[in-house]
Amino acid sequence: MLKLDQLSATVGEDDEAKTIINGLSLEVPAGEVHAIMGPNGAGKSTLSYVLTGRGGYEVTGGSALLEGEDLLEMDPEERAAKGLFLSFQYPVEIPGVPVMTFVRTAMNAQRSARGEEEISAPDFIKRSRELGKQLNLTPEMLKRPLNVGFSGGEKKRLEIFQMMMLEPRFAILDETDSGLDIDALRTVADGVNALRDPARGMLVITHYQRLLDHIKPDKVHVLAGGKIIKTGGPELALRLEKEGYDGVLGEAA
Amino acid sequence: MALSVSDLKDKFRNPGAAELELIARYAMLPESGQRERAFEAFASTGLPHRRMEAWKWTDFKANLKSVEASSRGAQCAPLPAADQAVIEFSAGSVSLPTSLPNGVKLHERKDAQALGDAEEVPLGAMTAALAGRVGGLDTLIIEVTETATTPLHIVAKGDRDETNFTRVSVIVRPGAHLDLVESHVGGAGFSSFLIEIGMQDGGSFNRTVLQHGSADEAQAITAVVNLGDKSEYTQTALAFGAKVARLETRLTHQESGSHAELNGAYLCAKGFHADFTSHVRHGAPSSVTRQVTKGAVLDGGTGVFQGKFHVPRTIGQHTDADMQHQALLLEDGAEVFAKPELEIYADDVECAHGNTSGALDPNQLFYMRQRGIPEAQARALLTEAFIAEALETAHESVRDALTDAARSFLMESVR
Ligand SMILES: Nc1ncnc2c1ncn2[C@@H]1O[C@H](COP(=O)(O)OP(=O)(O)OP(=O)(O)O)[C@@H](O)[C@H]1O
Ligand SMILES: [Mg+2]
Repeated sequence: MLKLDQLSATVGEDDEAKTIINGLSLEVPAGEVHAIMGPNGAGKSTLSYVLTGRGGYEVTGGSALLEGEDLLEMDPEERAAKGLFLSFQYPVEIPGVPVMTFVRTAMNAQRSARGEEEISAPDFIKRSRELGKQLNLTPEMLKRPLNVGFSGGEKKRLEIFQMMMLEPRFAILDETDSGLDIDALRTVADGVNALRDPARGMLVITHYQRLLDHIKPDKVHVLAGGKIIKTGGPELALRLEKEGYDGVLGEAA
Repeated sequence: MALSVSDLKDKFRNPGAAELELIARYAMLPESGQRERAFEAFASTGLPHRRMEAWKWTDFKANLKSVEASSRGAQCAPLPAADQAVIEFSAGSVSLPTSLPNGVKLHERKDAQALGDAEEVPLGAMTAALAGRVGGLDTLIIEVTETATTPLHIVAKGDRDETNFTRVSVIVRPGAHLDLVESHVGGAGFSSFLIEIGMQDGGSFNRTVLQHGSADEAQAITAVVNLGDKSEYTQTALAFGAKVARLETRLTHQESGSHAELNGAYLCAKGFHADFTSHVRHGAPSSVTRQVTKGAVLDGGTGVFQGKFHVPRTIGQHTDADMQHQALLLEDGAEVFAKPELEIYADDVECAHGNTSGALDPNQLFYMRQRGIPEAQARALLTEAFIAEALETAHESVRDALTDAARSFLMESVR
């Protein structure tokens, strides 16, 4: 479903350009959830930005296909309309735009890009109430400007709320578990599991085994130095937790 | 002894074609000492121009080579009045409503009225001299004696006219209240509106203004406001500009404990210029001023903010005043000029100001686009949210119409 082949990308301009993603290959078939782990600064967030089309990065080689379509050719909003979703490591505050307005605008923009009908107001409100309840987001919170003044954990829950509202075909979760309390971690994991679907793929970036206890990834990849240097089953995450990157990677090198 | 036309020409330094036409109009109106004094005040500067400090960014003389009919009718619909009372001013006529809000009386003055401090407001002085319609109304006086429960609307609207000069004077009696909604929708090559507002003890007034001229028109809206003891004045304006447009407010806290809010937003497309200028004098103790001006400008558009708080020694004690101006430059080639000034001589006061201009935050834009919102729509939405704060004080009956006007402008113009 998502197929990255020898992907390389730099950040910075001209002489300052620095290679962060360096020949990265990865495939996530439909229906699977893969985890990416890796030391700080390895390039995990950079990978998620390159895939979603954030400015400031230049792809210098390789390819990134979503269901056979070249992601790198598309504007960020086109990628989103194709069903690519990123739960941001650091969600951005959007002053003056209430959560509900924001999500509805996004949903309808995606639908209209896909030639689908807009969601009706009652359907939208019903759905957002249901999901809000699941994620412990009160109707009052959903009226506030997006992310403004929300706590770290609340912002992460809002990311998952948006993901569940938008029902993407492929979701990247960049450290969505960081900053969540124990109950919220469970709620978020339940949300992710609810979206598991034979037609949907997910890439979960995390530092901690705990989220993976709840989510149970099909594969775990280790990203270091801008590429995937080790891939294994869920047991790899357990080993990393015990032995650390030095222990596990020392053997790989 | 009245001045002859040639005396008048001498009073203008170097009158241009537009000023000569204004002199000819003056000569057609009935003679009056008040009119003459106002016109002389105007003559001392002529049409304001960039060599005058207060007009350095807004040059009417250069933009008004001659007085010509606008190539357009109204630029937009007036703010919605439903069945509320509407006074409409056009080039040659005034239409008055058959029924008025409770507590509101209109007095039609056919002769020119005096204007205090006319030298401070050159276009106000010009309007005071030229507002007279031959054989008809000169100044419309709106007297408010109780709490008017519905708003009064004023529409200034031309139809491919040369000029539309209008003068209104509002007197709010003690404890009375009025909501006034003004729509200045263009349609004249040169329109100028002068409103004087006298607030007596404990009166309150909410003024909401929409300004939208066309790119071949010059528009001035001048307000002179005097606040009595514990009176409250709220002003909210949305300006789209014109070839050159200025919304000027000179407000004086004359007695103690009065409260003023001056909020405004400008949205300028290519070829449009909008200027918000204000002068607030805290001429009495313990008065409060709150001012928020927001703007967003596209390539080839110009926004101007000039704000001044003047707090004289001893009489301005316990002033509490805050001035904020924030502008968004939406594209390269957008221009914003700002000059916030605090002139404070009293020592026991709280005065603050802030002034910023910049671009939209790329992180916010990317976040929105990642969610599927196309770039232009994301920019429009962020801009709308940015200016919204400045429109919150608009009268509730037209607040949505103002934000809708801003939204449709942004949806159409922002790329
Ligand atoms: N704009 C930039 N200019 C220079 N260096 C950058 C820029 N953006 C990212 N980098 C560098 O790229 C490297 C990868 O950053 P990235 O945020 O992708 O790491 P990460 O794997 O997500 O780390 P973490 O686990 O801490 O979130 C880091 O060394 C970072 O400093
Ligand atoms: Mg990261």
